This record gives sequence, C-alpha cells and structure tokens, in this order.
Amino acid sequence: MSTLLPSQMVSDRPSSRGAAITIGAVLSMGCGFLLAACTVAENFSLSPKETAISSQTIPIGIAVAQTSNVALLGQESVAGAEIAEQYFNQHGGVNGTPIKLVFQDTGGDEAGAINAFQTLITQNHIVGIVGPSSSQQAFSADPIAERLGVPVVGPSNTAQGVPQIGAYVSRVSASVVVVAPNSVKAALKINPQIRRVAVFYAQNDAFSKSETEIFQQTVRSQRLDLITIQKFQTTDTDFQAQITNAMNLKPDLMIISGLAADGGNLVRQLRELGYQGLIIGGNGLNTSNIFTVCQALCNGVLIAQAYSPQHQSAINTAFSKAYRQQFHKEPPQFSAQAFTAVQVFVEALRMLDKQQKISTLPLAVVRTRLNQKLLAGHYETPLGAIAFTPEGEVIQKDFYVAQIKMNPDGQSGSFVFLK
Amino acid sequence: MNLALFLQQVLNGLSIGSVYALFALGYTLIFSILGIINFAHGAIFTLGAYFTYALMGQAFGFNGLLANGALPLKLPFFPALILGSILAGAVGVGVERLAFRPLRQRGADPLLTVVSSLGVAVVIVNLIQYAVGAEIYTFPSDTYGNLPPAINFGTPEQPIPVRTVQLVIFGVSLVILMVLTYGINATKFGKAMRAVAEDGTTASLLGINTDRYIVLTFFASSFLAGLAGTLVGSSVSIAGPYFGIAFGLKGLAVIVLGGLGSIPGAVLGGLVLGVIEALVPGNFSAYKDAIAFAMLLVMLLVRPQGLLGRARIQKV
Repeated sequence: MSTLLPSQMVSDRPSSRGAAITIGAVLSMGCGFLLAACTVAENFSLSPKETAISSQTIPIGIAVAQTSNVALLGQESVAGAEIAEQYFNQHGGVNGTPIKLVFQDTGGDEAGAINAFQTLITQNHIVGIVGPSSSQQAFSADPIAERLGVPVVGPSNTAQGVPQIGAYVSRVSASVVVVAPNSVKAALKINPQIRRVAVFYAQNDAFSKSETEIFQQTVRSQRLDLITIQKFQTTDTDFQAQITNAMNLKPDLMIISGLAADGGNLVRQLRELGYQGLIIGGNGLNTSNIFTVCQALCNGVLIAQAYSPQHQSAINTAFSKAYRQQFHKEPPQFSAQAFTAVQVFVEALRMLDKQQKISTLPLAVVRTRLNQKLLAGHYETPLGAIAFTPEGEVIQKDFYVAQIKMNPDGQSGSFVFLK
Repeated sequence: MNLALFLQQVLNGLSIGSVYALFALGYTLIFSILGIINFAHGAIFTLGAYFTYALMGQAFGFNGLLANGALPLKLPFFPALILGSILAGAVGVGVERLAFRPLRQRGADPLLTVVSSLGVAVVIVNLIQYAVGAEIYTFPSDTYGNLPPAINFGTPEQPIPVRTVQLVIFGVSLVILMVLTYGINATKFGKAMRAVAEDGTTASLLGINTDRYIVLTFFASSFLAGLAGTLVGSSVSIAGPYFGIAFGLKGLAVIVLGGLGSIPGAVLGGLVLGVIEALVPGNFSAYKDAIAFAMLLVMLLVRPQGLLGRARIQKV
C-alpha cells in the first residue's frame, strides 16, 4: 500500500535537503537564543548609584515558572506567595509599610531563570528573590544573585548543593536527603517482606537525579536488592518499555522520582499493566495534581512530605483556610513553601526595619543586612518551626509520610498521614 | 532478552509508535500539499484534547480565565471527540489564513513560513495556559466504557499486557491511513489535492480553486491533530498546554524516517520509531529521544527520501 503524491516525484518544492536545512535552522535559532541569554547574563553589572527603597511599598521578587512544562509547580508557588502577600499586608506589612510582590516568569529553562533574576534585580529593584522553581534553574540563576549580593530563598529547590551556591542563597524546601528515606522505612513497616526494589527517575531533572541517589542509598542501607534503575524524561508520556523491563524482574517495591505529570502517568501505567506492589513517589509527586492523572490508580502510593495541611499552628490554619477558600482543595506543599519563603523575608525585614528604617538605607545595604537577618532568624511557619544553618540550609523539625487515599469518585483524594 | 520480553517490547513499541503515526499523518498531509512543516500542528493537537475535554462538560481548574468553569452541555466521549476535532480543524483553517496564506501570496521563503508557524504554536500554547492554567486534565476513567485497562497477549504465567487505550489508538491510526489513502487516490477531492500539490499555478489555470483546497487540507490535517490529541490525552492525560510540543518534534523525525509527503510512510515511520525506542535497553531508556533524532540525521544522509519516499527525479 503506497500513496505517493506527485510532489515527491517531480516538483520545485523543498526537497528532503531543504527540510534538513529548515530543521537545522530551527535548532540553530534555539541554540542562538540560549547563547544570547547566557552572554547577556555575563555582561551584566549593577549601577554604583543605588536608589533607596520607596517608603510606599517594599518590593520582593517572585521568580517562578509560570509558563513551560514546569508551570504547574510555579502556579502552585504563585498561589502560595499571593496568599502570603495578602496575609502579611493585612497584618501590618513591614512595620506599617506594605510589601509588594513583583512576579517574573522564569519559564522552564535556565536562560529564562537568569533573565527573570536580572529583571528583578536591575529593573524592579527588589530586596530579595523567592525562586526559582527547579533546582536545575537554581544552579544557573542563583550565582547571579550571589554575585550581586541579593538574597534568594528557594521555595522548591530540594537538590543537594543548592545552599552551597553562595552566602546569599538559602531555601525553605528541605533537602531530599532528609525527606526521602522516611518513605522507604514506611514501606518496610507496611510490608516487611519487601526485598526487590526497582527505581525510576527523570534523568533530565536535577532534583529527580538528586532524589533518586538518596533513594538508592536508602535502599542499599536497608539491605534491599536494587534490581533495576529505569530512566525517563519529564516530557515522556509512555513508560511501557521501562515498566516491562522492571516488571520482568519481579519487584516488590517501585520508587519514582519525577514530576506530577510524568510521575502520575507512570503510576497509572504500572497499575494498568498489572503491578500490584507498593509504590513510593518522590517529592515531585507530592501534589494533589497527580490525583487527576492516575485517578483511582493513585490509591496507596506512599509519599514523604515536608508539609502537612493538618499541621497544628495558627499560621498554618490561617494559610490553609485562605487557600481552601480560594481553590476549594487542600493546599499543596509547593504553595506552603512559597508562603513560607515570603514569610521569612517579611519577618527578617521587620527585624531589620526595627533597627533602622529600611527607607533610609541604600538598596545594596538593605539586601546585605536582610540576608544576615534572614539567616539568623527563627520562624513559625506553615511547615512548622524552621531556622537556617549559616550556609542557608533549612532546619526543619516536622516531616511526614502520607499514603494517597482516593475518594470513590476516582477524581479527588487526600494524603493520609501515617503514624 | 528472552522471547516473551522481546515480544512485549515490540508490542509496547507498536503501541507508542501508533501515537507517533497518528500525529504524523496530519503533519505529512500539509507537507505533501505545501511542502512546508507546520510547527503549529503540536499546539493544535493539544487544543483538540482541550476542546473534547470541555465538550464532555468537564470542569477546568482554579487558574486561568476559565477557572472553575465548565460548559453547560455534557456530550459523551465519541460525539465530543468528533466535535472537538472539527473545532481543531477550524483553528487550523484560521492558522492557514493568518500565518501561511499571507506569506504564500507574497512568495516568501519557506523558512519564514516555518518561523511563522512556530510563532503561532507559541501563541496558541500560551493562550491555552491563559485560559485554563497549567493543570493536568484527565478524561473520566469510564471514557471507553467498561473495557479492561489492559489486554493480555501472553499466558497467565508469562503475561504480555498491552493497554487497551493503546490498541484503540493503533486501530484508529490504521483506519485513518486507509481512509486517507482512499480519499487521496480515488476521490475528486484527492485528485484536486494532488494537482495542487503538483503545481498550484497550473491547477488554478485548469479551474481548481487552489486556495480552497489548501484550506481543506489544513482543515483535514488539523482535524487529525485534534483527534490524535484527544486519543493520546485519553491515554496519558492532558499534561498541560505544552503537551503536544514534544510530539511535534518526534513527528518531525517520523515523517523524515517514513518519507516526506508519504501517508503510509508516516504510519510506517511512526511504528518503526516506536519499536526502536522500545528496544532501547533500560539503562539507556532516557536517551530514546536522542536515538530518534540520530535516526533522523542518518536517514537524511543515507536515504533522504525516507523509507517509503521516492527519490527526486532531476529534470534535464
């Protein structure tokens, strides 16, 4: 059976060679854009004459992914940050001066994060930045803030090495080193017979790579057999080949490090293809957004978390209530962490402003002192009590392991916390 | 690799390959008429899935212009699929009017058309996000009625399961291949289309309204994109506005592999690519995209006309 259109035989149309040139040109344009973005970043410097902050509002930058395939994470962060802005301004702002969040979209890549950071620092004159969305972007964009002395608080960067980028870089998102092992221990409590473990991870995502290393270390330290490591990309939608490879080795436990869409799809396809054992999802699956992907098949997935909507504290109750009023569902971890990042800035600014009015200080001085105050503070947040190491790593007391329990409608569900 | 595992992976490959084939059919239709790649195809693929989802009366999330919104009607899946695909076809016609026709009338370089279609793709994707946010949307679990989630082609001891939805996609790809083949070879519309593809100027001198046939081709191509988007969305969920973009690049590899402008080539290219990807060893499974594009490069160098394409005859 062959249908050939005449254009293929004798025609003045672009030939295959023409198509090749076109494809090459498209790829070249993409590479050129990236190079241009990086070049701009390198040639950038601050004006020596810094203006002081206006006494009207205090600008804090929010640089998260509002577009691209990471937009889902960024969207949750934006929601949390906006609730924080409203909440803290209702509670007096910074000793009477309201804060103003300035949003810049980082997109899903490093160049986008770099550009967003530059814009916030040079054009919006922010005092500090909450962002970026992914650890991958943090490794590219944070050094720019570091070089210019602008404090950055990562709301959702959990890969190893992020706080070590520099003195001005900290995060409120606990490292996977702390969070991930809890879920493996919980799985062993549920089924002590677990011996054979298969690991899946998104190879194109710094956070997932970092997380899977911790999972693999935990598996080995628990004397379990790591029978296979299957890799995928966050943009993948079909995992049948990897699932076949893994299921052929008869695993008792599957561990997934990915994001909501790919991770949720992987769970769904594992179940549809007959896997009945326990599944552990990493931090990227820690969002109610996966409920719509794997639906009823999400049931029973274990997830280690750094935030619980049920955490008992006044600030978490206020945050949860505000979130539920607006979005009619339980707040996800990324929203809580973004709220916390804004809170940390606000409380550090309040301490600084008490010592000397911020509006009387040059911006560069505000940024430096803000960073010092931020790292020295102790905060009661929706995540529980937190503080920072001198390096900028979050010190957090409360961690949880939850098991997904889907409702009979198969569309909605909840994270049920395991004791 | 034992025989059962090999068979399982070949079936896996055929099932994902049929997705690529379904996507590439619409892609190749436009190439065969205009000789250009429509990079907006991936965005229309995504749009088709959203249209069907909305026509089924499903609610949107909490972000975007349509937050918490749902259409008052609640169509069953198959009528919604057809109507959603028609709407995607209508968008395709709009894209032709806005991004292709003005450039064609000016005799612009084909590269400008490619850039123009890329621009349209970015605009559509961002409009989708503006309207419905970046959430993941999933068709109801009973979309295909009471079909089992997977069918076992092996034995209970040595199962070889394939997801039912993938079999549906495979079947639809083959049906569309047959319909298109018949339509292009044996109907008046097909003959006129081939005449326009051969030489638009001569075709119009012979009384064929070339613009009309180009519009119809865009409609058919975008209809297929919408259909493919919905079927794939029903298999793996609508993973946000950028859902179709990855397929767009893969579709490019498929049509080069199968033969530019060849309808059966698009199907064969998709299936071959799917099987090759599935047979990539587990430790290298994340590199399957690199393998797909390496094949594209090799094919361009060794056999530029693709598996089922025909070498150009040089006029002397």
